[in-house]
Formats: sequence, C-alpha cells, structure tokens
Amino acid sequence: MNTSVLTPFLIVSGAGVLALLLGVLPARRAARMLPTATGIVALVAAIIMSRVQWGGPDETALASNYLSDRFTLLLDSILAVIGIAVLLLAWRESSSADKRGEYAGLILLSVAGMMLVAAAGTTIVLFLGIELFSVSLYILCALETWRSRSLEAGLKYLIVGAVGSGILVYGLALLYGATGTTVLSEMQHALIDGDMLRDPLPIAALTMIVVGLGFKASAVPFHMWTPDVYDGAPTPITAFMATGTKVAAFAAFIRLFSDSLLGMFDDWRLPVAILAAVTVIIGNIAALLQPGMKRMLAYSGVAQAGYLLIGIAAGSVAGVEAVLYYLLAYTAMTMAAFAVVVMREREVLDGDQIGALRGIGRSRPMMGVVLTLAMLSLAGFPPLAGFIGKFMLFGAAVDADLTWLAIVGAVGSMISLGYYLKVVAVAWQSGPPVDDTTYRTPRSVTIVAVVSAAAIVLVALFADPLLTLCSDAAQGLIGTINR
Amino acid sequence: MSLTTVLILLPLVGAALTLLVPAGNRDGARSIGVLIALVAFGFNIAAFAKFDQSRGALQLGDRASWISDLAVEWNVGLDGISIWMTLLTTGLFLLAFIAIAARMPDSHPRALIALLLLAECGLLGVFAAGDLVLFYIFWEAMLVPFALLIWMWGDRTRGRAAASFVIYTMVGSLLMLVAILSAAFMAKGPNGTLTFAIADLANHEWTQSQSTWLFAAFALAFLIKLPMFPFHGWMAGAYSSAPLVVTALLSAVMSKAGAFGLLHIAVPLFPVGAEQLALPVGSLAVCSIIYGSLMAWRAQTMRMLVAYSSLAHLGFIVLGIMSFTSIGAEGAVLQMFNHGVVTAAAFAIVGIIARAKHGTEEMDQISGLAKGAPWLAGIFLVVTMAALAIPGSNAFAGEFFILIGTFERHPVLAVLACFGTAYAAVYMLRLYQTTMNGPLDGEPKKAELRGLDVLYLAPLVAAMVVVGLWPAAVTRTTKASVECATTAAGSLGLVTAEGQPPRTAPITTELLGCR
Repeated sequence: MNTSVLTPFLIVSGAGVLALLLGVLPARRAARMLPTATGIVALVAAIIMSRVQWGGPDETALASNYLSDRFTLLLDSILAVIGIAVLLLAWRESSSADKRGEYAGLILLSVAGMMLVAAAGTTIVLFLGIELFSVSLYILCALETWRSRSLEAGLKYLIVGAVGSGILVYGLALLYGATGTTVLSEMQHALIDGDMLRDPLPIAALTMIVVGLGFKASAVPFHMWTPDVYDGAPTPITAFMATGTKVAAFAAFIRLFSDSLLGMFDDWRLPVAILAAVTVIIGNIAALLQPGMKRMLAYSGVAQAGYLLIGIAAGSVAGVEAVLYYLLAYTAMTMAAFAVVVMREREVLDGDQIGALRGIGRSRPMMGVVLTLAMLSLAGFPPLAGFIGKFMLFGAAVDADLTWLAIVGAVGSMISLGYYLKVVAVAWQSGPPVDDTTYRTPRSVTIVAVVSAAAIVLVALFADPLLTLCSDAAQGLIGTINR
Repeated sequence: MSLTTVLILLPLVGAALTLLVPAGNRDGARSIGVLIALVAFGFNIAAFAKFDQSRGALQLGDRASWISDLAVEWNVGLDGISIWMTLLTTGLFLLAFIAIAARMPDSHPRALIALLLLAECGLLGVFAAGDLVLFYIFWEAMLVPFALLIWMWGDRTRGRAAASFVIYTMVGSLLMLVAILSAAFMAKGPNGTLTFAIADLANHEWTQSQSTWLFAAFALAFLIKLPMFPFHGWMAGAYSSAPLVVTALLSAVMSKAGAFGLLHIAVPLFPVGAEQLALPVGSLAVCSIIYGSLMAWRAQTMRMLVAYSSLAHLGFIVLGIMSFTSIGAEGAVLQMFNHGVVTAAAFAIVGIIARAKHGTEEMDQISGLAKGAPWLAGIFLVVTMAALAIPGSNAFAGEFFILIGTFERHPVLAVLACFGTAYAAVYMLRLYQTTMNGPLDGEPKKAELRGLDVLYLAPLVAAMVVVGLWPAAVTRTTKASVECATTAAGSLGLVTAEGQPPRTAPITTELLGCR
C-alpha cells in the first residue's frame, strides 16, 4: 500500500476545505481573492502530481479502495483542468461576490468527488465519490439564493439526483449480494466462480446500475432534469455540470462496465446500445426546439452522452479509448461554448437566449470564432476534435459489429446540424447590435474561451500523443478488458 | 514535402496570410488571392510537367503517418485523373480571383478571399487524397467555406440556400463516413491491420452484399454533391442565391468532386457493388439528362439555364463512369474537364451580360446585344457550340466517347441519353438567340468585352479549342488511371467471346501496375 498515490485527491479535497475557511476571513479583499486562487493553485498541483505519477506502476491504496492507474491519472488531469476553467469562468461573477468561499470550496470538493469516482476500486468508494460531487453540485446550483430559478434548479437536481443515487446504490447492493465482494477487480471472478453469470440477480443489479448512472450522465429517458437544471443554475456551474459530471459518470461507466462487469458483456451490450441510440436521437431532436442557449446545450449534452455510450456499448479497448478522447474533446468544445454564454450573459439582458448572440461575430470577432469552432466541432466537422472523437466512437462501434449504432450516430449528427449551425448563422448575422458595448469582458473568461477553442483545433491536428495517453489509460485498466 | 503537399497547403497558407491584411483593405486581400492562385497554378503546371503518364498509380505524393493509432495517414498524390482535376481547380480559381479582383465586393474583402482559398484547399485535397479519412476531411472542409460564401454574399434567400446546401451534402457525407469505417474494419478482419489507404483497400474482396451496400453509401454522397436527379434539391437555391463567381465554381469545380469520387473511389473499391447498381445509377443519370434539359429549356434566368444544363451534362459524366468501359470512363474524365471549362465560360458571359443590364439575369429583358457587342457575341457563340457539343468542339469528343462506352453496356440508356444532346441544341440556342439576336434594346455597347473580361475568357476559349481539336491531350494522361479505376468493374458481367459465364471475382488492380 502506498498512500502517496492519493496526493492529487488529497490536494484537491484539502484545498476545498481551506477555500471554505478562507471565504470567511474578515478582510473582504482577501476573502474574495484567496479561495479562487487557492483552488487554482491546488488544481495545478494536482495536474503536476498526476503527471509525475504517470508512467509508474499501477498502485492501489487504502486496501484496494483507491486505484491509481493511468486511467485515474488521466481523468484526474482532465477533471483538474475542468476545475480551473470553471473557477476562471466564475472569477468575476458579480452575483457571488460574497460567497467566494462556498463557490470555490464546493467546486473543489466536487472535483475531488469526481476524482474519487475515477479512482474507485470498490463499489463503496464509487458511490461515495458520486455522492460527494452530487451533493456539492446540489448546493452550487442553488447558490444564487435570491433567484427562484436557481433555487428551483437546486431542488430539482436534489430530488432527481437522489432518486438516481438511490437506484444506483440499490443496484450496487444487489451486485454485492450476487458476488459477495465490493472490490471491482474481484467481481468478474466472483461471478464466474459462483456461476452467477446467467443468474437474474446480477442482471437486476446491472439494470439498476445502468439506470442510476443514466441519471448522472443524463441519458434518455433519465434526462428530464437536465434542461431545467442547466437553465436555472449559475452559468459557470452549468458548464461544470455539463463537463465534469459527464466525465465522472463515464468514468463510473468504464470502471463498472468496461472493466469489472465485462464478463456480462452479452447481457448489457444490447441494452446499453439501445440506450445510446435513443439518447442520440431524442437528445438531438429536442435540442432543435430550444430557444435558449443553455437549454440547447443541455440537450446537446444529452445527445453527446449518447455518442459516448456508443463507445461503452462497443465493450472494447478501442471503445474506451474513444470515450476518453471524446470526453477530452467534448470538454474543450462545451467549455468554449459556455465561456461565450457566460460573457454574453453579463453583457445583455436575457443573454442566454440564442437571439442574444446575434452579431457577436461582428462586434467581437474573437468570441465569434470561438463560438463557431465550438459549434462546428460539436457538430463533428473535420478536422476538429469533435470529428476525430466521433470517428473513433463510430469506428469502435463498427469494429464491434454495431454498424447500425454508428448509422444512428451519423443520423443524430445530421439532425444536430440543424441547431449547431443555427447558432453559427445567428452569430455572424448582421442586424442591430444587441450588446452593451460599455461592458468589458473579464480577461479570465476570454482566456478560457480562447484556450478551449485552441484545444479544439490542436487536439485534432496533433492527436497522436493524446491518443497514446488515452490508449495507455484504456489498456491499463486493472480488469482483463482484452477479451 | 512533395509537390502535391505544397499544392494543397499553399491556399491554406494564403488564407492565413489574409489575416495579416488590415480589415477592409481590398487591395491587399485581392492581391494575396491572385498571387497565391497564380503560384498554385504554377506548381500545378510543374507537377504536370513531371508527371509520368504511363503509370496509373498516385505519384508526386507523400505518405506519412498522421494519427498512427487510427491508421490515418497523410497520403496524397496525383494520378492521371486527379492531375487534370487539380489543373481545372487551380486554373479556374485563378480566373475566379481575377474576375473578383476586377469587381471586388465592398463587404468583408478579407473573408471573401480567405474563404475562396480555403475552398480551393479543400478541393485540391479531395482530388489528391490517397486515404479515405483524409478524403473525408477535405470533402467536409470544402463544404464549410462554400456554405459561408453563399451565406455571406448571397442574395435575399441565401440563408435558406446555404442551409439546404449544408444539410443535403451532410446527409450524404455522414453516411459515407460510416461506410468508410465499415469498409476499413471489414477489410481489416479480426486480426489484420487497419488501413484507410485507397490503394490498399482496392485489393480486398468484399462479398456481394457488402460491396453493394458500401457502393450505395459512397455513391449517395457523390450523387448529392454532383448533384444528380433526384438529389438536386439544394442546387436551385444555392446556384441562384450565391454570387455568380461562387455559382460558377460550384458548378464548374465542386461538382467534379462528386464525379471524381465516383470514378476514383466508389467504382474501383467496390466493383461488384458498382456492377450491381450500374443500371439504377445509370438510369438516374439519364433522368438527370432529360430533366436537366427540360428545366433548362423552361428556365427564366440565364443563370438557371446554365445551371440546369450543367445538371444534364453531369448526367452524361455519370453515365460514362457507370459504363465501366475504358472509352466511356475516359470520355467522362474528358467531359469533366470540358464541362468545367465550358460552364465557367458560360457563367462568365452571364456575368458580363448581367453587368451591362444592371444586374438583371431575366432572359425576357435582354435582347439584341450582338449588334453593339460583336466580340462578346463571337465568344458566346463559341461557348454555345461547345455546350451543345457540336462536332469539332471539345464537348463533342467527350460525349461521343461516353455514348460509345454506354452503347456497349446499356444500349437503351445510350439511346435515351442521345435525346439530351438534341435538347442541348434547343436550350443553348434559345439562350444565345434571345440575348444576342432580336430587336436592339438599350445600350448594347455596354456589354462589350473589356480588358479584364478578355483576360479570363481567353484562356477558357483557348482550352476549348485545343481540347476540341486534340482530345488526346487529355485522354493520353488519363488513360492508365482510368483503366485502373474501371477494369475490375468492367470485367464483371461481360460474357466472353466463347460464351463463358461472366467472371464473378474482380481482377485485382495490382495486376495492372496501379499500385
């Protein structure tokens, strides 16, 4: 056992507590600046630590509750980057001026929870991680207490999230009943040794786990909460939910399905594939009808979860690799889109409507380019990151004899053009300017937007080193994924 | 870096250079456009000079790993078909830049030049790609600039036009993406190595149903891009809404990407499927010929007349490709080049007439221009004769080859297609007579050619005359590559002289020195 492998997680969770404390300092200036600064420093440190540990042997800690393999380290870095971006987006959020400590602290705790999911070696830690980030997010959604929409979002997320967690924990309990162990890496053997592979008990457990994680990943038909919560929550938090929660939910999917439950592949493959297909189609069609940018991005996030599920359904190393790469790409493009929304929201009334983006390409060419890149990449235009990701996902599906699923994915992408291109069109439309030119975009938001947009291009053009990371992470999973 | 790589990347560099020009600086933008297009054309000529006509495989190219994990390669090169297509592209883009430089629009000059250069880059990439993924990337990469060109500089209906253009083509190309993946993974098998290289995939033998489905998915994307009846829904909107130069490029160059894909990818990779679907696709081609001709005959504006005549001519090209005979396919390649040149010239003349008439393109408002503008009328007559494929013109050679090739395989289709040549005379002469002859109207002198008009019309007319008199100039370069592309499909279904049953397995292209 080696507790030093816990450092990324410990740094981030420790910084979360520290930020909460710093937020109540009597000096107003310090209370404003320090929590966020602490958070950024801690997250950078976490990235450095996971980079340092990369390449070393896989380790377990805390009696194999905590796994530190390449999968964990890669996801730790992605999650830390998401945390930094969200802290930067929320940097000058005027509405939360007196809640800096809670804002930064809860974001950090949430990131720590997500890291725990990625590192989970047992079902208990997996569930703990999910609860840690979910509970932090319930509060973050409702943080703008004077705004009823924000409260509504928090409450809705709490209720739906609790239902999801409840189903998930029931499923995990049934799984324990079937296998007699909570350790993920032992489950496969336990199922085979106990001759439980064809037993209804693990199948019931599997169903509940899919439903529970479906709630977290906002897969159809468990997505109903997504648009309302995304719409009501403060926009930086929406960006956080859209990216971080998705990464964590798919980390859980991969740990459970692509690793420890791979022995039951034949049982879960078709249901997950159908879930993916339904999610892609419904998510894309619903997104067509949304007038609000945040709601549109919520449904687009639902559809993207569907694409990611395609990689899970493939049940292969290539599928996991594709999911990891697509999570990276998805994070960059979603973050870029939300950065533009955050900026616009502060400039104009009803800034989260698609109409509010009219002419942004003319008044702020840089933001126009960022938004265009994000939308084109989400729609899967080559040679951007979203294209390479979809290419890998569809390729993994075809390789796993799921060509029909790849076709569904392609049809979904066609539908998605309808709303992604609409945003591009609106952004470059001429017409009366809708913005208040006296407002200056804070530099932190611009940085997030530009860096994300650059990532969309660079991650695609120089995909090779990143794909090596992703495939190392996918192959290093402890279970015998190489069927 | 090989010549081909330089050729593809040059317009991309030019597009980046436009960012250095201060916004609204029209002179800077247009000189970058003309200069880059000129250099690209020069490189293309150099490539042509170094080109070895006896080989059917890609040459003057590069092959390097790009995304090694996915087996995606930077694999580019030119064969006998693509060298002519790139010449058409760089040549017509150069003329387009000259035409634009003469009448630069006021809005966003930088963006206009940059987008045109990006479109040129995409097209050159499509013609030179030796890897299916690379082909797909360039295929999509050319769509965005063309859609934006329509959308930013089009007329009132541009929003709709651009949207339907994007949606139609994306429907085809996303299915093609799935087909690309399916083809590569099927060819890989359980333990093989994954490859997307066209030359490697051509050696794989698919089952009949695999081949048919894959061919259908690829062909759909290509037929939409051409466009071909009944997938031409985007054409009328996009062609009528875009600025005339863009319409000319769409019709003269971009449509060739579709025909090129059919001949260069779909038919050689899936010969069995191509043979299975030869009759349906050929019938659609004949429908296009007849439908396009009838629509051209009834068109209200000069622009739409040329657009629909182009639909008919593209039908001939597809018919030639689907004959799988080397003479038919050679005629198709020849006709691809001819159609590009003739259509570009026709659109250029439409532009000149419309300029004299304050932008109107309605045919019933234009007449009697020949009296004041004899030079224009003279050039127009040459173009008209070429468009209706009068013997001695360049298009005659092409259509004649195509009809010979089609007679060998599908006599009924060939007979029906002949109607198209008759219709062509009807609508082209109608265009010429209504605008040039008839009662004098207004100030016809304004329509006479000016210095710059001659600069971009003269090379087109020269190309028409040269190819008309000496079609072998094109066909001797394309011969080897065309045989590589069609032999496998052509050998199927033909009953040999001794009455042997038709061969079921295609000849691998390796035998012919095509690798």
